[in-house]
Amino acid sequence: MDWRDVTVYVNGDEYTKTIPVQMTLAEFLRDELFLTGTKIGCNEGECGACTVILDGVAVNSCLVLAVHADGKNVLTIEGVSEGELHPLQQAFLDAGAVQCGFCTPGMIMTAKALLDRDPAPSREVIRKEIEGNLCRCTGYNRIIDAVEKAALMLQKR
Amino acid sequence: MLPAFKLLEPNTIEEACRIALDTDGMFLAGATDIFVAMHGGALFPETLISLAKIDALRDIRKTDQGIFIGALTPHRYFEFNQVMKTRYTAIHEGCAQVGSPQIRNRGTIGGNLCNGAPSADSAGPLLVFDAVCVIVGAAYERTLPLREFYLGPKKTALRKGELLKSIYLPEPVSRSASRYIKFTRRNAMDLALLGVSAYLALDDSGGIADARLALTTAGPTPIRAGEAERRLIGHKPCDSLFSEAAAIAENESLPRTSWRSSKEFRLKLVKSLTEKALREAFERI
Repeated sequence: MDWRDVTVYVNGDEYTKTIPVQMTLAEFLRDELFLTGTKIGCNEGECGACTVILDGVAVNSCLVLAVHADGKNVLTIEGVSEGELHPLQQAFLDAGAVQCGFCTPGMIMTAKALLDRDPAPSREVIRKEIEGNLCRCTGYNRIIDAVEKAALMLQKR
Repeated sequence: MLPAFKLLEPNTIEEACRIALDTDGMFLAGATDIFVAMHGGALFPETLISLAKIDALRDIRKTDQGIFIGALTPHRYFEFNQVMKTRYTAIHEGCAQVGSPQIRNRGTIGGNLCNGAPSADSAGPLLVFDAVCVIVGAAYERTLPLREFYLGPKKTALRKGELLKSIYLPEPVSRSASRYIKFTRRNAMDLALLGVSAYLALDDSGGIADARLALTTAGPTPIRAGEAERRLIGHKPCDSLFSEAAAIAENESLPRTSWRSSKEFRLKLVKSLTEKALREAFERI
């Protein structure tokens, strides 16, 4: 097997590990760092449950090699709260946007990447942005409500 | 984990081409196609040649006549860039409909073309802008119109040891506009059942000075509908002309039946979507 040393900055912490090149970033987060908030659903980029923010943009961590995160910043669901719940997390709870919860971490990371770029997106923009995140429970409307709510909370800050 | 492979990470284009000549390695760009096939057990490459460290493949350079766009430029660039939105609208529309934001952040324009899929969302729009491929080998560079790049399904004109370095897009003339229509069964995360790209340019008297049409998933490769284009050039734009051209485009296409759609349905789509794409491109001028 082909092994490499990598240093990845996850949620602000530095981690150095020796890993096989075929390990995905999703597996690195879950199995090496035990950050199991990031979920693996389809493992082929369809469902978005493994979405994390890599150097500022949302990616499917199942389609990124962990070695390609070497030297980069990764933000996962474990890193979004700042002492108290992040407005997105609070809004998801308030709006009833969480049912089984499996899609929620990925959904929140996609929404965070959107709000970081566009602090006041329309419902249409939100709907389009979460096109790569499947939810089989909510019917999406409450998720869109939650992202709108979070955008307002963040604007008031 | 992905099936085991050996990972090579060259720092320069020359090095990448030399490795490709000397090994059976496969180039790896955004990985959004290759890893899906590997996760699914459909692909087991022994060696992957990652292009991630080659910054020269991300260069975007404007010239007086057009723009060179590095092969590693992600779809997201075409989705947000103002020049793409306003001057190369069909390319913007194509790239904004690839997969999902997560896929568009990783997937690259070069990968979309080199993968050779007849359904590639960037291919049709690039064809109507007369895109040119800049191809590099270990010690040379050559250019090839995108029209000649596709040889068959999953087959391109790239020879062993060659790499797509960038795409050149000539500047569109001032009274022109374009439109890409992708027909899918659902609004997201789907491949095109059929894609139609149209580009129209008008002369001073309002006649059609230039017309270009491209069809995706309407044959073994993305194609230009040359006969339909010739029917349009030199005439006044109107619905009946667009309808005639669309009927010619239908005759020029060679779709097949797949699990996504029957050949017959695809032919009907060519006709109706070509009409619509021409009309909507014209309305944008």
